[in-house]
Amino acid sequence: MILPDPLQKLINALERLPGIGPKSASRLAFFLLRSGDDLADELAQALHGLKERVAFCQECFNITSAGREHCEICDDPRRDSTLLCVVEDALDVLSLERTGGFPGKYHVLHGVLSPIEGIGPDDLKIQPLIERVRRGGIKEVILATNPSMEGDATALYLRQRLEPFGLRVTRLARGLPVGGDLEYADQNTLLRALAGRQEMD
Amino acid sequence: MYLTHLSLTNFRSFARLDLEIPRRAILLVGSNAQGKTSLLEAVYFLAAFTSFQTHADRQLLHFNTVREAKNQVSVGRLTADYQRGTGKHHLEVRLILEPVGVGNGIRLRKEILLDKVKRQAHEVIGHFNAVIFAPQMSQILEGGPDERRRYINMALAQTFPAYARTLSEYHQALTQRNALLKTLNEKGGNSEHLSIWDEPLTRLGSQIILWRIQALQELEIQARRIHSQITRGKEVLRLVYQPSYEPLPTPAGQISLPLEFPVDRSGLAPEEIRRGFAEKLEKIRAEEIARGQTLIGPHRDEVRFLANGIDLGDYGSRGQIRTALLSVKLAEVAWMQSRTGEWPVILLDEVMAELDIQRRADLLNYLAEAEQVLLTTTDLHLFTPEFIRQALVWQVQDGKIAPQNDPAEEE
Ligand SMILES: Nc1ncnc2c1ncn2[C@@H]1O[C@H](COP(=O)(O)OP(=O)(O)OP(=O)(O)O)[C@@H](O)[C@H]1O
Ligand SMILES: [Mg+2]
Ligand SMILES: [Zn+2]
Repeated sequence: MILPDPLQKLINALERLPGIGPKSASRLAFFLLRSGDDLADELAQALHGLKERVAFCQECFNITSAGREHCEICDDPRRDSTLLCVVEDALDVLSLERTGGFPGKYHVLHGVLSPIEGIGPDDLKIQPLIERVRRGGIKEVILATNPSMEGDATALYLRQRLEPFGLRVTRLARGLPVGGDLEYADQNTLLRALAGRQEMD
Repeated sequence: MYLTHLSLTNFRSFARLDLEIPRRAILLVGSNAQGKTSLLEAVYFLAAFTSFQTHADRQLLHFNTVREAKNQVSVGRLTADYQRGTGKHHLEVRLILEPVGVGNGIRLRKEILLDKVKRQAHEVIGHFNAVIFAPQMSQILEGGPDERRRYINMALAQTFPAYARTLSEYHQALTQRNALLKTLNEKGGNSEHLSIWDEPLTRLGSQIILWRIQALQELEIQARRIHSQITRGKEVLRLVYQPSYEPLPTPAGQISLPLEFPVDRSGLAPEEIRRGFAEKLEKIRAEEIARGQTLIGPHRDEVRFLANGIDLGDYGSRGQIRTALLSVKLAEVAWMQSRTGEWPVILLDEVMAELDIQRRADLLNYLAEAEQVLLTTTDLHLFTPEFIRQALVWQVQDGKIAPQNDPAEEE
């Protein structure tokens, strides 16, 4: 059976989302079609405003509301500006913030190095990180990319780039399951990982 | 270890098969194209999670199942109960064919369950062990180096618990590194970025080299002993590992050591191999960029088989190659057994027809000690009456299996 074009388009778009297979994509699409209330409209509006109303912090590249230059964390004078935690994406900031155990500030890379996908250092927020460090005041950088092969490679690359500045560079790894994402680690595991961060050699 | 039960659904020509399997030698007899090889393939699949005949798992599913998959999810299933030491286990593999989106074709997914819990292949491999020997395996000796690497990988993955995972991570690092080399080759850029991929490549690669050194040395000892018995002392068999990155010093201007001389790499420390590998990569950087790929490492390793100093892959006679393969396979069984403390299940496909009378007798003698052996043949006459008396004979016909005689019951 050939599906009407709009439905097929929706299924194909949903299928491109992470964690959504062909089956769930079809199920979601048909659910939206059937849903009597305003769900489909609400969703459409929310999606529409997403890119316009959400912006990235110009300091750390975490998400923030449109119109703000800096995010709440960067603007918070109680946060320790000498301690910087480098993460893959904004979701990792959320996970670490939930633990309530990290007093410093963040830097969001928006991805990891992956030559297969054509992602090199210039495609990530690495240059702004170097600039931040160059401006001074930072004593320790914690590299908290995921313990995957690409996460490790990115951490190694950053360590090489940060070496000339002579600050303390540590790796958040211990306690995290190998191949596990920060996003899925429970709070206690993250707290232990923060406490046990290791000098990179 | 041994199987106690096997059931297949939509696997090759078996729409459905249920078998109680005793702990002994089982002789599967049948004419051509009845399903004998397919049965051995199924048992081996439960040990290696890959077929010894094909790289395309889809071929393992019954034709009808593949046909149905165009409109619905269809499944092929292999399940086995087996005994390992004092423990009973249950292993299940599902080959799931499902449509991709709507009208985007079909894809195959593999699910593995050990004792009813879903697991990754690399976590389960090595729990149930099997060694398979089929005539086309002379390719191990005669074919290209990738045949030999595949063979070594399948044996090592079943024996060293972390091997499969390390190998797959090595290939992940290799793929990333090759992608970067290709970009550097085509678009230029900073070649210093390579060093961050050298790290996982050399860390994982040196571990693989170390395992291969160890395994091939132990395998060679067994193979030499067995081959000397089988050839009545006439031939000395050697397994020569030629790592593409040679951790030992090589003669000036050469990248590998000469074949003729036995070398001992057993004293090498892991860190020593890793460092040497990394230094070598630094040295060949320009060449790697020019070629756009990683030129040294376990993905290019080679193993040669020598009888009395002669390279069998290049100069072996048919008979010499068959005999050497028999020795290598029996060595694999003995090695796996000494490493894991368990007999692997032995699978022999049409092997008797290829051997002369003396070698047949040697093999049957050897098999008498094994825990469970599944043999196929089109011709019962190739076996001695004594062997047939001890074994269970099953008739394979058109995807069905029926006992022909059970001497144990007749007694
Ligand atoms: N995916 C499949 N679906 C259905 N049938 C298949 C499939 N793959 C192979 N077959 C068929 O299964 C039959 C049995 O093949 P198999 O190789 O097991 O036979 P065999 O008993 O070992 O024969 P031989 O003595 O010739 O080696 C063949 O006729 C083959 O065409
Ligand atoms: Mg056959
Ligand atoms: Zn910020």
